[in-house]
Amino acid sequence: MSDASLPLAPAPAALPRASRGHLAFWLGALVLAGLLFFGLRALGNDYAYFAGYFILQYVVLATAWNILGGYAGYVNFGAAGFMAAGAYTAIALRQSTGLDLLPGILAAAVVGALLGLGTGYLTLRLRGVYFSIATLCLAVVLQTLVVNWDYVGGSRGAYVVRPREVAPFVSYGEYLFLVMLGLAIIAVGIARTVELTRLGRGLQAIRDNERAAEAVGVPTMRLKLVATALCGALMAVAGAPLPYYSGYLNPEAAFSLAYAVNAIAMPLIGGAGTWAGPVIGAVLLASLQQAATVTISSALNLWIVGWMLVIFVAVAPRGILGWFRRR
Amino acid sequence: MTRMTRRELGRLAAGATVIAAAPGLAFAQPANPIRIGYSMSLSGGLAPNGRSSLLAHKIWQEDVNARGGINGRPVELVYYDDQSAPANVPGLYTKLLDVDRVDIVTSSYATVMIAPSMPVVMQRGMAYVSLFGAGVNEAFKYDRYFSMNVTGDDIRSTYARGFFEVAAKLPTPPRTLAILAVDNEFAQKAADSARFLGRQRGLRIVYDRSYPPTTVDFAPTVRALAATRPDLVFLGSYPPDSNGLLRAISELRLSAQMLGGGMVGPQIAAVQAQLGPILNNLVNWDVYSNEPTMDFPGVRAFQEKYRARAAAEQVDVLGNYLQPYAYAQMQVIEQALARVGKPDQAALAADMHANVFKTVVGDLKFGASGEWAEPRNLLVQFQGITDGDLEKYKRPGAKVILYPESLKSGELRAPYGAPA
Repeated sequence: MSDASLPLAPAPAALPRASRGHLAFWLGALVLAGLLFFGLRALGNDYAYFAGYFILQYVVLATAWNILGGYAGYVNFGAAGFMAAGAYTAIALRQSTGLDLLPGILAAAVVGALLGLGTGYLTLRLRGVYFSIATLCLAVVLQTLVVNWDYVGGSRGAYVVRPREVAPFVSYGEYLFLVMLGLAIIAVGIARTVELTRLGRGLQAIRDNERAAEAVGVPTMRLKLVATALCGALMAVAGAPLPYYSGYLNPEAAFSLAYAVNAIAMPLIGGAGTWAGPVIGAVLLASLQQAATVTISSALNLWIVGWMLVIFVAVAPRGILGWFRRR
Repeated sequence: MTRMTRRELGRLAAGATVIAAAPGLAFAQPANPIRIGYSMSLSGGLAPNGRSSLLAHKIWQEDVNARGGINGRPVELVYYDDQSAPANVPGLYTKLLDVDRVDIVTSSYATVMIAPSMPVVMQRGMAYVSLFGAGVNEAFKYDRYFSMNVTGDDIRSTYARGFFEVAAKLPTPPRTLAILAVDNEFAQKAADSARFLGRQRGLRIVYDRSYPPTTVDFAPTVRALAATRPDLVFLGSYPPDSNGLLRAISELRLSAQMLGGGMVGPQIAAVQAQLGPILNNLVNWDVYSNEPTMDFPGVRAFQEKYRARAAAEQVDVLGNYLQPYAYAQMQVIEQALARVGKPDQAALAADMHANVFKTVVGDLKFGASGEWAEPRNLLVQFQGITDGDLEKYKRPGAKVILYPESLKSGELRAPYGAPA
């Protein structure tokens, strides 16, 4: 056999289209994050960090809700419960070991995932409104537990005396903002990966017709459990920095209805079932709420959310993204 | 010569008006005002007290500006509604300090709203006078924190002291104590104080329970409490449940030698109007009463102004609770600023630590932790209440002070549950 007959050595394979897309997403996200961070630092205003944190925490929360609610169609009313679970995990870890914010976030992710898994196992045989009521009950049960758990402050609330500065950051506000920015990128990245993989397609099949999906071999229960675990972990992660942000946390604040309402309203307004929809909804709605708080009157906050929901349900029931796609 | 159209003439006239008015407008702006910033609960669960505190602040601002301001500088209040949501507070205080660039910050009402502002305030080294926080600085230990609250820095051994001091004078010495408190920070601290001081006095605690803030039906709880037949009943409750509790107690005809203790609610005009004679003989913690012993300089004048505007502003119509303290909170800032001369935070804090402040709630001095050096928890008793008419609360005699001795204005009537 001559050398000439040997097949040519394959040229270095070009990256598959999906991998190129992933790379572009992560690079784009990092560039955007860098621009945002250094832009705010150049602004030299701590308020921008706090407003940014407020918006980004809702990006994480809305993205987490979207994994189960948007892709699989299972509406979770217990967002505040998962978020509070994350916040109180961070407090418990600090009380017991003295470990700070970042280990607290990791612990919150684990606790949130296990809580999501357990809740999913117990409730995912329910569908529609029955599942939603079960998730609402979870938040009530968790709040009752926390109110009676003196180790994390119980009904009195817990104080978290945070350090004034964390090197090399200008202020603790900047540090918190960067942490939440990182969490938001990771959350959106996970949601995007879910959407583009078999997991996401399976969840979408469940949303469209669960029985048909089951009939064609989609492992519905397993996929839903993965989704609840992911959703729970990300919601808990969104809540973990909350005690460090406010310095004090009591059950009423941690289990606030505003988190549950916003977690649902933001993906619906942005466009549920897409990774970008919750981001758009969270940025739009949280910015509006923050602006209303310091300009017109914050009493109008929930009024704004209510009207936005009514308008979008009437004019663009598939959210902003759905409206543009239709056009 | 070009002719001017009617529209051009109109534009010219408008422009001329603006130019002519501009110097006047600039002149009308207050010269370099002192800006005092804070968040206040103007909506949500804490709004009733938040809104009435804001009215007290506005009255103080008008009084000060009518006198020519502080050191010749007028005062401007910059405030935002925190919606009674602690998560909103850090962002609002950062905005006040970084964007609005206020000279002084002060606090919203209640512990749950004060605590979230502390990290931001501490980061900027601001002198900070809070309103009705309970033990906030125990955790933060901030040396520029000052509290406008009568509870002092040792709530456990002082809060319920008056209740037991008065009980000791009952004709039949009490032997048993029942404690019931809502699951929130202030009520639990109150119950803790009652537990501690009750045991110290050798009382047998026959009932000691908490209930969740969402409780609406108190009949089972009151029945269980009544079954223990206590001599003294110490209740730690908040406005919605204070109503429910006292109504259940009245309906089930629970009687005790002394009943009350640490209820928040009977101090508020709306609750007094609703409960009427149910309040009769209730012995309760309070901070202010229109008794001659509390006729401090300026307080009547303040209350007159407050009551004249309260109905229109839809806030507590009497102003017998935290409203004089909200006014006094600003008086502390005013007097410290007047002495220091500029908003130098370190100098203001040093001044607040060093001096006695003359306010509409009396002379007060801050201790090392920023709480009042001398706690002044009042124990009052509602006497001769036959209806829900609020006029009687504007005069002495309806809410008699039993403790402390220095402010005492009447004698105890026992038991609770006896006819008026």
